[in-house]
Amino acid sequence: MPIDFDRVEAIGLSKTYGATRALRGFDHVFHSGVITHVEGPNGSGKSSLLSLLALVATPTRGTLRFGDHGPRARDAIRARVGFVSHAPMLYPDLTARENLRLFAALYGIADPEGAIATFVERLGGGAHLDRPARTYSRGQLQRLAIGRALLASPRLLLLDEPTTGLDDEGVARLRRILEEERARGAIVVLVTHDRGFAESVAQETLCLRRGKLERAA
Amino acid sequence: MNLLRAARLVAEKDLRVEWRTKEIVTTSALFAALVVFIASLAFYLDPAHGRQIAPGVLFVAAAFSGVLALGRAFAKEREFDALTGLRMSPIPRAAIYLGKVAASFLLLAVIDLGLLAMTALFFHLEPGLGLLHVLAFLLLSTAGFVSAGCLFGALTVTTKARDLVLSVVLFPLLAPAILAGVVGSREALEGAPLAELGSWYGLLALFFATFLSGGLWLFEILTEE
Repeated sequence: MPIDFDRVEAIGLSKTYGATRALRGFDHVFHSGVITHVEGPNGSGKSSLLSLLALVATPTRGTLRFGDHGPRARDAIRARVGFVSHAPMLYPDLTARENLRLFAALYGIADPEGAIATFVERLGGGAHLDRPARTYSRGQLQRLAIGRALLASPRLLLLDEPTTGLDDEGVARLRRILEEERARGAIVVLVTHDRGFAESVAQETLCLRRGKLERAA
Repeated sequence: MNLLRAARLVAEKDLRVEWRTKEIVTTSALFAALVVFIASLAFYLDPAHGRQIAPGVLFVAAAFSGVLALGRAFAKEREFDALTGLRMSPIPRAAIYLGKVAASFLLLAVIDLGLLAMTALFFHLEPGLGLLHVLAFLLLSTAGFVSAGCLFGALTVTTKARDLVLSVVLFPLLAPAILAGVVGSREALEGAPLAELGSWYGLLALFFATFLSGGLWLFEILTEE
């Protein structure tokens, strides 16, 4: 059953990996139509926060609310989440088209070919669609990973260093896409050390230090 | 999306990747063939001894090559962190497990067929009902093997010891299935009737059902971060 939500609320979110406390008592509400930039030094808990929001990891303490839905509805929530991580989360031996078809099918997208055409229109790379992902450059893989995350028109879009490997044209396309997603009402959480890019797109900035939310602006 | 449809998508993806790379079947089949070939040189005396020794060689070769195959199958999930992409998808986690079990079984069944033909040739096993029983034992044992292996194979994605974890955890668990398959096959080659082989079939079926149901239930917990 498809669900929708207009905010994501993190309540006392903590995550511990062994002896490492990656995130400590994080509270915040992410709103629809807002791009939130999460900044902080390496190891401050930014990627852990994204993993928790993506429901890939389970919080050690605290909880998440997706509108009126709790994490128990996780399969339905996952259908509305797009995640660009450090790794492309694709199959290197499949072509770009096969990768996109696979994830379109897994997300239950009725028109996978239409979704692929939209990917080409927004991110380019149509000439390379039938090449195995293994042969892609870092930037091409990043475009493909962004395309995979956007396939199902996510309500929550999580981006971890999305400009990595992208050329100037790719960064410009990404900036345009984020504007379009924001206008569509997506909740966008952006982790990047590219402050110039973040300042050009984000409406809100959160600063994490040692797993704690230090300030929001 | 329902469990079976999602599992089919995962299995088709695994088979498509293997069709393209031929990596798992080629390496595992070659390894298994070498084990059978070396064992035939080392242990074969005459057809009577062959019937006693062949099942052990066959099941050990199948188990070793199976661990190799499952290790490679999960290494492909590790590369580019593809498994996280699957785990993020709005499908039941059990579908990932079931899809990988189905694809791994089909790939290993192909190897099993070649392995049995090679074992029959090198150990002079006569074609007949006995050999068909051996094939059935081998396939049933492989079904149990992949249902246990895909459950613990997921651990190799998140742990540093990786393939070592799979071997260390899997072989003690597999011992009853390997023994049941070896003893059942030996009796079948000696001409035992189906009624006498039933308990070995039952044991292998129980092993398969236990690990399949355990895997469907536990896969999500084991792959949780």
